[in-house]
Amino acid sequence: MKPSTAVTVTRYTAILVIGLAMGLPLFYLFSSSLMTPQDVSAYPPHLVPPEFRWANFSDAYDFLGGRTIANSFIYSFGIVILQLCIALPAGFALAKVRFRGSRALLVFFAIPMFLPNNVVLVPLYVVTNELGLIGSYAGLILPIVGRTAFATLLFRQFFLTLPDGLIDAAKLDRAGWLRIVRHVAVPLSGPAVAAYASITFLNSWNDFIWPLVAAPGDDYRVMTVALAPLAYQEGLSNVPPNVGMAAAVISVIPVLLVFVFTQRWYIQGVVGTGTDNT
Amino acid sequence: MRTKSAEATTGREGRAADTGGPRPRSEAPRRGPARRRFVSRDGTAAAVMIAPNAIMYMLFVIVPALAGVALSFYEWNLFDDPVFVGLDNYREVLTDDDAWAAMVNTIEFMVLGVLPTVLVGFVLAVLVNTRMRGVGTVRVLYFVPLVVSTAVASVLWSWLYQPQSGIFNYLLGLVGIDGPAWLANTSWALPALTLMIIWMSLPLVIILYLAALQRIPDEIMEAAKIDGAGVWRRVWQIIWPNVSAMTLLVLALQVLNFLSAPFETALIMTQGGPIDSTTALSLYIYRVAFEQGEIGAGSALSMIQFLLIVLLAGGLRLIHRVRVRRA
Repeated sequence: MKPSTAVTVTRYTAILVIGLAMGLPLFYLFSSSLMTPQDVSAYPPHLVPPEFRWANFSDAYDFLGGRTIANSFIYSFGIVILQLCIALPAGFALAKVRFRGSRALLVFFAIPMFLPNNVVLVPLYVVTNELGLIGSYAGLILPIVGRTAFATLLFRQFFLTLPDGLIDAAKLDRAGWLRIVRHVAVPLSGPAVAAYASITFLNSWNDFIWPLVAAPGDDYRVMTVALAPLAYQEGLSNVPPNVGMAAAVISVIPVLLVFVFTQRWYIQGVVGTGTDNT
Repeated sequence: MRTKSAEATTGREGRAADTGGPRPRSEAPRRGPARRRFVSRDGTAAAVMIAPNAIMYMLFVIVPALAGVALSFYEWNLFDDPVFVGLDNYREVLTDDDAWAAMVNTIEFMVLGVLPTVLVGFVLAVLVNTRMRGVGTVRVLYFVPLVVSTAVASVLWSWLYQPQSGIFNYLLGLVGIDGPAWLANTSWALPALTLMIIWMSLPLVIILYLAALQRIPDEIMEAAKIDGAGVWRRVWQIIWPNVSAMTLLVLALQVLNFLSAPFETALIMTQGGPIDSTTALSLYIYRVAFEQGEIGAGSALSMIQFLLIVLLAGGLRLIHRVRVRRA
C-alpha cells in the first residue's frame, strides 16, 4: 500500500516546520550576534541582520578574555582525558576479568543513577574545600573526573560485546591482563571511546554550577560562568545584547563542531546507556 | 619464579587440550591449586585496573554522599567548628515556609514539564522516524538544543522573552495578544523557564524513542503505517504500547531532569525571582548552603530532596509492575 501524496506532503511539511522551530533559537543566536545594537532591539524584530557588524566578535573576545576561553578547553579536555584513563580499564575489568566481588562492584558503580549531581553539590564542595582544592584547576577538574559511574558502565557494556576468543588468544600468547588492555582492548575500543568522549565533552563544556562554586574569581573562570550574568535582565550588565550573543556564539562553536562530527557516536552512546549523563 | 613456571605449564596444557577435539566446558580443567592461583592473579589484575577509578569515585561521589548525611545533623558555616544538633536542622527546614514554597515550585516545574516533554518527544520521534528522502538531514535540527549550554540558552531565551522587542511577544502581537513581561511576572516566569527546559530536554527524549521505534518488529510497524486515515489512533493504540518500557525510562529521566534543571536555569535567568516564584528546592538548597552559609540546613534539605527522588522512583516502579501484571 503506497502512502497517499497528501499525507506525504503533510508529513514532510510538519517535519520541516517543527524542525525549523526547534532550530530557530540557535539561528537567532547566530543572526543577532552580527547585528548592530539598534537592530538587535528593533521592533518588529529582525530575523536576519540588515547590516553585519563583525566587530561584535572582537568586543565579545575582549569581554570573555583569552584565559576564560582557554579555561573552558582545559576544563573539558582535562575531564575527558583523565576520566578516560581510569574508566576504560575498569570497564574492561568489570566486563572480562572474573574475580570475586565483581557483581557487587557493578552495583556500587550504579549508585549515582538516582543521585542527581545537585543533591551532593554541598558536601562535594565541603570535601573539595577540605582537600584544599577550591580555586585551582585540580579542584575544578578532579571532582568531576571522580563521577566515573557513567563512563565505567559505558565501557563495560561495550567490552561485553568483545568476543572472548580475542582475549583467549592473547592469553595463549601468555599476555598478562595489563598487556591485553593495552594491545587488545584499547585498539578495539574506538567506537566506545568516541561515544564516551562526545557525550562527556558536551556535558563538561556546558557545565555551569560546579565551575561557579569551585573556582570563584576570574583566574579559573570558564565561559559558561562568564556568560551567565548576561541573561539576568534585572542585573547591571553593561555588555550590549549583540555583543553578549557574539560571546555566546564563541562558546557554542566548538561544541557545535564536535557534535556535527561525532553525532553518530553520541547517539549510539546515549541509546546504549539509556542516558546522556546530565 | 615458581609461579611463572607453573603458568607456563598450565599454558601448554591448555594448548594441548585445544588441539585435541572440542573445547571442554568453561574452565573445567583448571581445578585444584592451579585454578586457585589463576583466580587470585586475576583478582590482582582487576584490582590494578579498577583501583584508580574506585578511589576517585569513592572520594568525590561516595564520601560526599555520606558526608551529606552526616552534615545534616550538624550546624556548620564552613569556618567554625561544627556543632552536633541532632534533628534540629530537619525541624528547622520542615517549619520553614520558604522551603515549602520552594517545594511547591518544584512540583509545579515537574507537573508543567515532565509529561509534555515525554509526550511531545514521543510524537516528534514518530514523526521523524521515516526513511523519506532528506529527512535524515532535517532531523539534525531536532538535536540542535544539545549543543546549547544552560548558560547560552539562558542568554538567548531571556532575549526572546524580552517584553518589548522579544520574538515571543512579537509573534503573540501578530495574533492580537499583548504578551506579558515573561521573566518579570510572578505567574509567567515559571512556565517560561519550563518551556525553555522542555526545548533543551527534547533531543534526548527523541533519540531514545527513535531507538525504541526502530526495535519494534516490522509487521507491527506495517500495521501502524502512517499512510492515511486514523493516523492518530494507530500511533496511540499500536505504537505507543510497544514503547512502554522506554516510556518508563524516559519518565524517570525527565522526573530527575525537572528536579535538577530549574536550579541552574532559574539561578541564571531570574535568580529565583520575581519574589521567589521560580525558586525550586535545589536552588533554595544552594541559597541556604552557599549564600546563608548554613551547610547543615542545606544538607538536611538535600536529604529531603533525595527522599523525594526515592519515593518518585518507587512510585514509577510500582506503576510499571502493575502495568506489566495487567498486560
